[in-house]
Amino acid sequence: MSLVAHQLSLQAGTRTLVNALDLALEPGEVLGILGANGAGKSTLLMVLAGLARPASGRVTLDGQPVADLPPLTRAQHIGLLPQGDEGGFFGSVADFVTLGRYPFGHAPGDLVPQLATWELTDLARRPLGTLSGGEHQRARLAQLAVQAPRIALLDEPLTHLDPAHQARLLAWARSEAEAGHAIALTLHDPNWAASHCDHLLFLYGDGRWQRGRPAELLTPDALEALYGLGSATLWRLQNRPVQPV
Amino acid sequence: MAAAFACGGLLALAGALMQTLFRNPLAEPYLLGVSGGAGLLALLGMAAGLAWPWVSALAFAGSLLALALAAALGGRLLARDHTPLLLAGVMLAAGFGALIALVLSVAPAERLPGMLFFLMGDLAWTSNALMLWSALLLAVAAALGLSRRLDVLQLSPLKAASLGVAVAPTRWMLFTLAGACTALVVAQAGSIGFVGLMVPHALRKLGYAGHRVLLPACALAGGSLLVLADALARTVIEPRELPVGVLTALLGVPMMLWLLRKP
Repeated sequence: MSLVAHQLSLQAGTRTLVNALDLALEPGEVLGILGANGAGKSTLLMVLAGLARPASGRVTLDGQPVADLPPLTRAQHIGLLPQGDEGGFFGSVADFVTLGRYPFGHAPGDLVPQLATWELTDLARRPLGTLSGGEHQRARLAQLAVQAPRIALLDEPLTHLDPAHQARLLAWARSEAEAGHAIALTLHDPNWAASHCDHLLFLYGDGRWQRGRPAELLTPDALEALYGLGSATLWRLQNRPVQPV
Repeated sequence: MAAAFACGGLLALAGALMQTLFRNPLAEPYLLGVSGGAGLLALLGMAAGLAWPWVSALAFAGSLLALALAAALGGRLLARDHTPLLLAGVMLAAGFGALIALVLSVAPAERLPGMLFFLMGDLAWTSNALMLWSALLLAVAAALGLSRRLDVLQLSPLKAASLGVAVAPTRWMLFTLAGACTALVVAQAGSIGFVGLMVPHALRKLGYAGHRVLLPACALAGGSLLVLADALARTVIEPRELPVGVLTALLGVPMMLWLLRKP
């Protein structure tokens, strides 16, 4: 019951971003994906979601190639939170969140708990376009949450969220993992990655990649190798502020 | 009057579909050069002294030509990005506009009023109400069949695809349906402006965001607006008639500006 990448290679034009990646996203796992801008994180999520073709290799869900699944079937199992782009939506927050139920047919289900979870209850009737950046991000997360995918792929979900809502996202991710769902997210915060991810994937943007536990991968030298010289001065990794929940 | 309602309904429906296709409230039925293509061929027909049924057929052919050119030049990446299609259409519209100006500047003077009425939109020629009504009912039914997918298509193409919508085929269906509605009206009544832009935008502004309600509401409101405009066009300067396109804009612009005042 897992999403598996077999010898996956990703390219941007002629440049190889990821070379021969083998990766299994197991039930109950939270995987953090780290890499510099343009290293292929979003491309990898799109390929894992079956929405873009890799240069080579394949992705399977429970042994079935995701690219061959009927779109609605795929959407019932795999959810993707792409980076924000909601220019064309005219409806209310509740309308927007409801769209997460689209793969499951007509019954919209009960939105109230999810609206409450993401503190959107008071905003539910507001036009989506009138929200602040962080409120908007919560609406996008709530839309993914009502889709309730077994495999949730999130592209920079922490964007715009204040600390309280970053904690809310963390609690949601953990409860999903406990329910046997798998989560992969991209992020730029090694502290969050160290404390809250079960595994990490480093993408170096030149084909190389590394997968391992946070304690093995998150060293100052490794971060400098990943992001570039001087970047490790941003974090004091020896003092991990929070332990995994 | 019956034809006016069907024309208005088709234009407003096409406008709503175009706004969803391009995820932009400024999109309208003539965005991709449909009216330009129709206008150019219709004017050439008029300049050659052809009778109305032939001019109408030429206008229809011109619309389809414009749509086919836009699709061929800009349609490759529609699954991910609608900008190439938009740019191709806007460029074609500009090109057709220049050619129309050229035809107008060299056409015999006695044919100019008819040409200008066609370009502004005029229901006086419209004869085929039954056909327009059948088209309206079919188009509303087809659009309603797509309505849940269209709700999702308002999201980014990637998000819509992740929710299980086949983005490129649905966008091509939208393009075809909106194009067919517009081409039918333009061939019957010329380029009646503003209904297709204003009606869907105003209804969305009033809170009708879900397509299941928005699309039939557009057909009703667009039809009603055009019936009203047509009645006024026939009466305000009796015994002469105004082109109905002038009235739709004169009625629509203040209504739209008033709506924009609301937050």
